[in-house]
Amino acid sequence: MINKTIFKKTLAAAAIVAGLSAIQVAEAANWLMLQGTERPGAAGRAKVWGFIQAQYQKDESDPFTNANGDLYIPPKLIGPNLTSQEQFNVNRARIGVRGTGMPLDSSVNYFLLAELGNNGITAGSGGDAQISDASITINTDAVRIRTGLFKTPGPEEALQAIHVFDYINFTSVSNQLMLERFQQQGETNTAGAGGINLADTNTNSISGYSRPVGAFRDTGVQFFQSYKSGKWDHSYAVMLGNGNGLNFGDTNNAKDVYLYWASEKSYGGKGPRAQGLKIFAWSQSGKRLDPDDITTTDEQDRTRSGFGVKYLNKPFRVTFESMSGKGMIFQGQHRPDDSFNDLTAAGSYLDFGYYVPKSKWEIDLRVDTYTRDENHGTSAVGDESTFDTNTLAAQYHINKKSRVTMSYEARTFASDTTAVNNQLKGVSNRIAMQLTHIF
Amino acid sequence: MKKILGIFAAVGMLFSVGVQAGEFADQSIILQISDPNPFKQTLVLNVANNLIKHYGQDKVNVEIVAFGPGLRLLFEENANKGRIKSLSSAGVKFSACKNTISAMAKKLGHAPALNKVAVPVSAGVVQIVDLMNKGYKLVKP
Repeated sequence: MINKTIFKKTLAAAAIVAGLSAIQVAEAANWLMLQGTERPGAAGRAKVWGFIQAQYQKDESDPFTNANGDLYIPPKLIGPNLTSQEQFNVNRARIGVRGTGMPLDSSVNYFLLAELGNNGITAGSGGDAQISDASITINTDAVRIRTGLFKTPGPEEALQAIHVFDYINFTSVSNQLMLERFQQQGETNTAGAGGINLADTNTNSISGYSRPVGAFRDTGVQFFQSYKSGKWDHSYAVMLGNGNGLNFGDTNNAKDVYLYWASEKSYGGKGPRAQGLKIFAWSQSGKRLDPDDITTTDEQDRTRSGFGVKYLNKPFRVTFESMSGKGMIFQGQHRPDDSFNDLTAAGSYLDFGYYVPKSKWEIDLRVDTYTRDENHGTSAVGDESTFDTNTLAAQYHINKKSRVTMSYEARTFASDTTAVNNQLKGVSNRIAMQLTHIF
Repeated sequence: MKKILGIFAAVGMLFSVGVQAGEFADQSIILQISDPNPFKQTLVLNVANNLIKHYGQDKVNVEIVAFGPGLRLLFEENANKGRIKSLSSAGVKFSACKNTISAMAKKLGHAPALNKVAVPVSAGVVQIVDLMNKGYKLVKP
């Protein structure tokens, strides 16, 4: 966890920088501005846009074999369905519209986006489409105010526009620690001893949550601004949200608090692929009700924090992020169980990218690690487990809006509990290929 | 002595008029922007830049006439203000239609704040006709 003192100092420094800077809106790109604002005087009434990602994935893991047959656990199956080890999928199919309702006045803009693909957003919603973003931003010189449903200030991997994500699958730390699952009363998330039989995957409860994953989003209000100071852009965001992901409404009176700071030195370019050196830190905190007993006032703190740096100056890219959390640690990548807990977890990743000069190729290498239930004694649940993945990827940019991404993930998962470790031993590599087209 | 100074002053004035940018330009182009499509803003600025680059700053007169929805290009806050400033430094002129300004003022409740380089003209279309009568060619990207 980031020490609170450090975070307070960061915010204090941010305030000083903001004070020193004239109220001059930064022109360089950053996620807060790209997703929450429009170009003043140059935005349309309604710009239709979106993207489609079609993919193929194959998991090479071996089942855990015992007297019950060949048994599987979630990381050995392809999500979100968790019914096979090999499948084609339309992972994302999003269409949206954004702009300024009254183009003459740039002080108000909107952003609306719907997901029609097959992933954790729609698989849990029980429908074929789900609104993922619906927000309105009011822009003033002093502060910008964004309200509605949108991405929360947080880690770079989560906050960035997913259609320019350089890999196919998230790191374990983002997938397990940051991508929140919302368990309803009466829903279970168990796989039984040793996992599940592949024939039972359609009826088992390991993917039985009826609500969509959080998708790094929340409904609330965000105050943010970006300031230019020399070659640097400094941005901050403070958000209050329901802490209920894509689900409208709240389940308790407590509100999640999101804090974010980023400073970026621009090296040129604009939009999602803008080049620069960015350093950032963030914090999230909230409370969750016990999904198994919502009639009580039993609440659990959920805190997350992290920091990182991203350097992109073609042909090189280097990203490092560290994240940690306490409470509501998702127990699903093996021995699925209730996530209402006070456990801790932490992880990080290091990413290298090389844009092959005078070609359309890009080579990516990512090393990520995640430790779940840190320092927890071996027990029936909550055993400490480590998820290490090395991902080698290549991207071929057909044009600025279309690319092919290929990835090979070498996974080493382990637990300090023998029974669980026996299951994780079989987790092997994963191959994926994805075609992205942005329109 | 006064007569001599007067002659020098007159010659000086003539000389100063004679060296105004674009006086000996080979081409004079009007770029019209009246479209609401934001992409047209980028396009018209690109075209202006290309004209300057091709003919040379002193060999071409470029005047961007904005009216109707296209006037947004000349709003003070416009995201392209950096490029507009740069083109203005290179001699490109920017004309803003007063009729459009008045119409927008009614909708907004106040007159839109314009870029400092924008010169209000009585009517965008009249400005185009007047410039064409002086030999300018009209281009609408």
